[in-house]
Formats: sequence, structure tokens, C-alpha cells
Amino acid sequence: MLKEQTPKISVRPEFQQAAPPRIKEKVFELNGIEVLYGGVSAVKDISMEIGHKEVTALIGPSGCGKSTLLRCLNRMNDLIPTAEVHGELLYHGEDLYGQRVDPVQVRKLIGMVFQKPNPFPKSIYDNVAFGPRVLGRKQGLDETVEKALRGAALWDEVKDRLEDNAFGLSGGQQQRLCIARCIAVEPDVILMDEPCSALDPISTGKIEDLMIELKERYSIVIVTHNMQQAARVSDRTAFLMVELDAEEHNRWGRLVEYDATEKVFTNPGDKRTEDYVSGKVG
Amino acid sequence: MPQGVRVYYQEELEKLEASALGGLDMVSTALTRTMEAVERHDVELAEVVIADDDRIDGRYLEVHQSLITLLATQSPVATDLRLISALLHVLKSIERMGDQCVNVCKVLPLTGNYAPADPRMVELILKMGAQTKTLIAQAKRAFEERDVEMARDLVRRDDVVDELNRECFHLALEIGDDADTREWAMTMLLSARAIERVGDNAVDIGEQVAFVVTGLFREFEDASHPG
Repeated sequence: MLKEQTPKISVRPEFQQAAPPRIKEKVFELNGIEVLYGGVSAVKDISMEIGHKEVTALIGPSGCGKSTLLRCLNRMNDLIPTAEVHGELLYHGEDLYGQRVDPVQVRKLIGMVFQKPNPFPKSIYDNVAFGPRVLGRKQGLDETVEKALRGAALWDEVKDRLEDNAFGLSGGQQQRLCIARCIAVEPDVILMDEPCSALDPISTGKIEDLMIELKERYSIVIVTHNMQQAARVSDRTAFLMVELDAEEHNRWGRLVEYDATEKVFTNPGDKRTEDYVSGKVG
Repeated sequence: MPQGVRVYYQEELEKLEASALGGLDMVSTALTRTMEAVERHDVELAEVVIADDDRIDGRYLEVHQSLITLLATQSPVATDLRLISALLHVLKSIERMGDQCVNVCKVLPLTGNYAPADPRMVELILKMGAQTKTLIAQAKRAFEERDVEMARDLVRRDDVVDELNRECFHLALEIGDDADTREWAMTMLLSARAIERVGDNAVDIGEQVAFVVTGLFREFEDASHPG
């Protein structure tokens, strides 16, 4: 008999869940974040802390605002004219949306990797060197490119053809090239928006292994639709879901549960999280 | 009947839970027959119990394999994952309970055709069997109803079985100097010990109930550090 109805019991002290490990160092602190597009809320009331040198996964059904929230973290929403961000978003304790903050500097420190690999129509070398060159670097580019490609676990596969066009790489290699391009400017945080959704299982496995290596040096926030990927790679998982207003005209994303990944996937605190991670609702 | 998405998976999981817990009914039947065999010194009935244990083992293998397939194909998480983990433990406990009945039935012929039975010892063992049957039924119900309090209550009931087992031991010590009688008593003590273990297995199932509901595994009683 499976439980539609969870039994109402008082849990004895010895069965109380241990508190999840605390975030030792915060890279982001979100307080009441709301994002609006054209005056309509896309996400509301998001308050959470994101740990430094941890992998944090954002999961939830389509339209719940995961990508919107991710794009807040490096001010990518600034590029959308109708977008507004309300609330407080602190990056290492400083207001990310402060008047004196340079969005270009923000995006250097907080890089992003997108769903579909998007290398430039240039050589492998020039793709990786692009960022450092834009930042005015002229010396030591070879070392920087090699270091970034090694960091993205791609060096051995491309070291003999650095001048080849990046479009000649496989999808998985292109995505790792994009990660190399991202880390070539020595960011602090890497945001990943469904980075493996266009990749086969082998390429996905390589990116996931890479994420685990990269978190030694960077904080990573990943949006994924793949539950098992979130379970495999992340330290903490945030579950967002869509909420409707009384008239069911407007919908927005809301944070339902945010906890250690192990807890979310073995014993979630909220029935809605349980139903979503179990695949019982989409 | 499950509703929503992944209906096949939910139905399969329900079916496997029912099938695993159905193993407890098989054990209960085996224990009833075992007690009858002890009471009447019925060696033939004991042989039936021994032969029938293959059915319990078969249930174990069948459900175990299906649970492994479900793990491999459905990537269960959260409550489903805890349930499957618990069922794997429960299956093992059921298989062990069946084996303990077999152990009792195997030693029964050793007591000889005209065993010098001490009715007090037989009575104690029958009491243990009856109490253990209630433990088995309660463990099944607690699992089905996800009732942690009912599961914890198994400890109290199991204490009764343990106490009866101790009484068997003391009786065996004072049963007399006759070698045949002492040998009989030792054999019966093995039976008592096997039944006592069936009770422990029922408590183990109760602990799995608590795990499914709370997500944390804790022994109800720590045998190595009783407190």
C-alpha cells in the first residue's frame, strides 16, 4: 500500500533529521528577490544563500523561473529592457545591483555556460583567448589558454589542433570549450543553464566530472531538468515551482524547498518537492 | 490505484510491497505448522515446513530481483527510495524467519521418537510461538500503515518472547541429571533460541517502518549497549 496519505505521527527525538550542514562561506545572499518582465512577476520572494565553492542546483518544472533566477546572479537580465529586479542580492556581502557596480566586471567574475554550446566562429585557441584579450591581456596568452583547456578537461583532445575551427569539435567538446572560455578570465562563479541538455550521456558524464573538479576552485550554480544530474553533482538543491494567482491569470516561480541535495532526494521536507523529484508531477 | 504520471511504476511498487509483506503471511503459516510439529512431535509435518521453505526463498528471490530492476530502470528517490531500501531489508528478515522455522523443524527428529518431553518446556515454546506470531502480524500491519508507534510497540512484545526464552534456559538447567533428558532439553533450547530470533526479525522490520516514515535508521534497542 503506497501512501497517498502520509501518516500523521509525532516523530520521536531520536528520529528527528539532523540539520543540514551550514553554508560556511556565502557567495550569494538573496533576500526577497523578485524579477518582473514587462511589469509581470516571473519569480517572487526568493530568499536563499548560495555557498562558496559548492555546486548549487536549481530544479523545478518549466516556467518556474530557474533560468530567470540564474540570470539574476550575473545581471544578465540587465540585457532585457523590460526586466526589473527587486529585492537584495548580495555577492560576497556587496550589493550586486549597486549603482557603482560595473555589469561587465560582474560578468567577468560570474561567468555563464548556456544550454546549447555557443563557441565563436573562430579557432579553438581564439575562443579561449577571447575573454583575456577583451580584458587587455597580451602577455602569457598561450599559458592562459592551456591552463583553461586543461581546467575544462579538453587539453589532451585539442592540443594538436588549436588553430582548427571550434565548430569542428563535437557537441560535448564544444561545451567544454565554452567552459574553458568561461574559466580563462578566472571567474569566481560559474553559472550553468542546462549545460548538458544537448549532450549525449558520455559527454554529460565528462561535464559532470568536470563540475566536481571545478568546484574546488569555483562556486557553481546549475539549472537542470535532469533530476539525477542534480543528485549526482550538487551539494545543495533548490526546488522552485509555479504558483498561480487566484484568477489563474498570472503565474510566477517561488522557492519551495532549499536544502542539502542528499536530503532533498532521500527525505524532502515538502510534499511538492517529493512529488516533483519522484517524477509524479511535471 | 495510483493517479498522475508514472502510473506503471507506482503500481509495480505497490505490487512489490504487497508481495514482500505477503512473505510474512507465509512465515506465519510456517511458524504455526512448526509449533504444531513441536507440540505433537510430528516429524512429517516438520518435513513439510522444511520443504515449504523453498516457497519463502522463492518469494525473496522474485521480489528482490524486481526491486533491483526498479532501481535500475526507474531511479527512485525520496520516499520511494526509502521504501525500496526498506523492502530489501524486510525481505532478508522474512527469509531468515523462514530459516529459523526450518532450524526448529530440523532438530525435532533429534529428540527421538519417544522424547522424554517435559510438558513445561513444550508449553513455554508454544507460548513463544504464539507471541511471535502476533509480532509477525503486527510488523506487517505497522509496515502497511506506516505506523511508527505500532512498530515501536514490537519491542515490548518481543520482550515477552525474550523472557520466555530465558525461562526455557533456566528450566533446562534444572531439568535433571538424566543424559537423555538433558540432551532433549538442549535440543529444545535450540528451538527456543530460533523462535526468539524470529521475534528479533519482526522488530527489525519495525525499524524499517520507522526508516520509511522518518528517513532515519535507528535501532529501537541497541543490543550491544543496552540501556
